[in-house]
Amino acid sequence: MTSAFGLPIAWAVFLAALVTALATGLGAVPFAFIRRLSPRGAAAANATAAGLMLGASLGLLAEGVHHSPSRTFVGAALGIGFILITQRLLGHHEPEIGQLTGVSARRALLFLVVMTVHSFAEGVAVGVSFGGGESLGLAITLALAIHNIPEGLAITAVMRPRGVSLWTCAFWSVFSSLPQPLMAVPAFLLVDRVRPALPFGLGFAAGAMVYMVLIEILPEAYDAAESRTIALLVGGTTVVMLLFQQYL
Amino acid sequence: MTPATLLLYTLAATLAAGLGALLGGWGWFARHAVGWATAAAAGLMLGIGYVLLAAGQAIAPAPTLLGALLGLGAVRLADASPRGRGTATAGADTARVSSPPATDAGEILASALHSAVEGVAIGAAAGVGAPLASFLILTFAVHNISEGAVLGALLSGRGWRGRAAAGMAMLARSTQPLVAVSVLFLVLALPPLLPWLVGASFGALLYLIVAELLPHSYRLAGRTAIAVVVCLAAGVVALMGGGR
Repeated sequence: MTSAFGLPIAWAVFLAALVTALATGLGAVPFAFIRRLSPRGAAAANATAAGLMLGASLGLLAEGVHHSPSRTFVGAALGIGFILITQRLLGHHEPEIGQLTGVSARRALLFLVVMTVHSFAEGVAVGVSFGGGESLGLAITLALAIHNIPEGLAITAVMRPRGVSLWTCAFWSVFSSLPQPLMAVPAFLLVDRVRPALPFGLGFAAGAMVYMVLIEILPEAYDAAESRTIALLVGGTTVVMLLFQQYL
Repeated sequence: MTPATLLLYTLAATLAAGLGALLGGWGWFARHAVGWATAAAAGLMLGIGYVLLAAGQAIAPAPTLLGALLGLGAVRLADASPRGRGTATAGADTARVSSPPATDAGEILASALHSAVEGVAIGAAAGVGAPLASFLILTFAVHNISEGAVLGALLSGRGWRGRAAAGMAMLARSTQPLVAVSVLFLVLALPPLLPWLVGASFGALLYLIVAELLPHSYRLAGRTAIAVVVCLAAGVVALMGGGR
């Protein structure tokens, strides 16, 4: 079976998902124009990231609940547990990410782990959508590619204020989305078997992201800016992300 | 839910503000109890916000999301009071502590305005369904304890007697039932307004959670425990669909 572009359909799925992953790197671009963030700027970036993640989580939850509320809930609980355990494990290590070490690296790594895990579900979504037809697959690919740009922005917003270079931020942004091409093809090939597991994955990603926002990103933002400003930013970006998901 | 039932339930919830004001001594146990209650309220509000959002988007997505932005802006304006709402945590928030203190009337007015915004959310939830509204009223009853405690402690510190401070805390929160019933009447008279109001409620709830409840509870009980409580409460409400 070949795609409209003459490629075997499995390759078309892989390339489509690779495009969505590369789009995540575009999220680092705005930071090419911002050299250094003040503490208030860093707090605003954290609040923006929190809002984008919260909006993305609400979208994932809605999709998961549409398939199965109970499986989504179990997935979310597993996601929270996963982050708790990851946190404990990282508590005994001092990882290095680029120029980051110690506490900063732990936080950034935890964030990256969450975003990477969350990409698995998106890769499945790309693969499953191609199972419903090529035009549907391309539409979902386009939506996810655009959706990934703010995710790259969120990753960069967390890493850049901690001194990580722009290219490294772009690299980790793309890296966090690499599960998408890796998961898309098996999901496409095993679409019927994967579909019942989809709400678990969606819930897992949503639970992990919300917990990450609560345990790391928001407390850090509160340290450097007024809570009312943070609330306005978080609320605004959450709604913008929801609008984005609704109409793209 | 009928407007009469809504009025009865929300009036009962305002009594919690009086209880909070009587806890104004802020002993160790009271401080932690208020911290946990605040975290639970934040989680419940997040779950209810999610259910409201889903309900609004099912009716009309664009008005719901635009309403959310309007609700966010409205609650921010209502929160522009000289009092820092008593929920500051650290960092830049401490700047507000050094601002000139508001008068007693200013404090009470700020609390009343704050309650009015919450009343909009309750009224919109009642327009969606009685169980969802009941959930939200119960949540705000829990939230009223900490709000009453903040206002009560403030007034007591300025020489008010305990009972008078408790009475004033309940009076300030009484805008909650009045606005809730008014909004329900509005929704019943003009059903196309429902998605706008539901969206506005989501925006307002999200603002309250991030601006007030989370920093307040982090300060009282630590971030890990609070994150777990918030996720658990929100997850349970979302799983139950807010009782819808």
